[in-house]
Amino acid sequence: MRTINFAKRNFKEIIRDPLSIIFAIILPLFLLFIFQQFNIPSENYELHNFTPGIVVFGFTFITLFSAMLVSKDRTSSLLIRLGISPMKSIEYILGYMLAILPIIVIQNILFFILAIVLGLEFSVHIIFAMLVSIVVAILFIALGIIIGSVASEKGSSGISSVIIQLVCFTSGMYFPKEALGKGFRFICECLPFESCVTIIRGIMNNNTDIISGRNVVLFFVYTIAAVICSAVVFKKKMISDNK
Amino acid sequence: MYAIETKNLTKKFKEKTAVNGIDLTINEGELFALLGTNGAGKTTTIKMLSTLILPTDGEVKILGMDVVKDSQKIKEILNVSPQKTAIAPNLSVKENLEFMAGVYQIPNKEAKIDELVKLFKLDEVLKQKAKTLSGGWQRKVSIAIALINEPKILFLDEPTLGLDVIARKELWKVIEKLKGNITIILTTHYMEEAESLSDRVGIMAKGDLVDVGTTEELKTKASTDNFEDAFVKIATGGEL
Repeated sequence: MRTINFAKRNFKEIIRDPLSIIFAIILPLFLLFIFQQFNIPSENYELHNFTPGIVVFGFTFITLFSAMLVSKDRTSSLLIRLGISPMKSIEYILGYMLAILPIIVIQNILFFILAIVLGLEFSVHIIFAMLVSIVVAILFIALGIIIGSVASEKGSSGISSVIIQLVCFTSGMYFPKEALGKGFRFICECLPFESCVTIIRGIMNNNTDIISGRNVVLFFVYTIAAVICSAVVFKKKMISDNK
Repeated sequence: MYAIETKNLTKKFKEKTAVNGIDLTINEGELFALLGTNGAGKTTTIKMLSTLILPTDGEVKILGMDVVKDSQKIKEILNVSPQKTAIAPNLSVKENLEFMAGVYQIPNKEAKIDELVKLFKLDEVLKQKAKTLSGGWQRKVSIAIALINEPKILFLDEPTLGLDVIARKELWKVIEKLKGNITIILTTHYMEEAESLSDRVGIMAKGDLVDVGTTEELKTKASTDNFEDAFVKIATGGEL
């Protein structure tokens, strides 16, 4: 119950910041729309390939909100008040995650509706992709909690911008990982973002052959590590902030 | 039974001793002011007493319960109004109260909120977002939130810091209303605040609790006519 209570509060904090909505929903929707107007001669920009990229790109703003929310709570001393309350660390982490899930669902629905309006053929696999993307989003929320736990409010937005850029360059949403040579490809394959896009792409297009074992393992290793790390870092920082 | 009892309470941060073996007892229903210069160890002491950080050495008993072993039970019966504003900025005053009622799982939430709204006269700002409130209102809301779980012990860490004289006097009135029903531990830099509100005062300097007594007792000990001079004399060991 405390988790739900904390999640409700976090949800209200996020949606009452209009910039959140603009960045998380309107900007990716605009990009999805605008890139379809140019008829770019690349497979990457075809709706069935580009929409999963936009979904993951939208999640990077979730990282930004999570980071900003956690760092704001730290600087406002709200976490001192909550630290004295009977709330436990796991309730904080789940509370932050649950608060963001409705925003992810709204993001997904709007992204896929626009994609369908623009010509993506509807199939039940789109719904499967939406469900899987909620799991993918956990990685981005956890990254946000880690950033918000270690950085100040200003620092959080800066570090989150790095994640946004990394997703743009290494996820394969704008250009294939092979485009910039072997070194770049290696970096893309070491980071989890290309795997995130590939997993959603494969499920959405009912073409699971493109999802390799490496994609699945890499995604789960990064996600589990990020969730554990977020809980540990958050707890540690909560104590050290209070020294 | 004492509300708070500490024996050799010590907190070290690496080589630095922030709180140095404090022995202190605070009675139930007492308003105890903890005074000291910046870095004297007041806030660290409050953080240890309120379960936020663990002592390096010594023991703390809150209403007979050990602060390390029984921290979860203790958390249910105390609350704090921290030094910086600790409210959710985008939530209204009512939502802030509801949120903290949820954190403490208050069963008769609406009745408790109504009671606090009346006590702190929060009607006019109830629907206002916390971040749009003036400093005085934010402090009032912060203390109201701290009373949501009907704490037996309340920590007020510099509750009137930065407020204008009228807002400060208004808060004093509120604190006076609470006196006797709740054990209050107050830290402040304002001598007149400690003199006006507290039953007893503890003076800290460089991590030590150098003296404890009523303001009159401390003035007599320091052979001064006013409390500020007494505080300066005691806190500096008579150097000033």
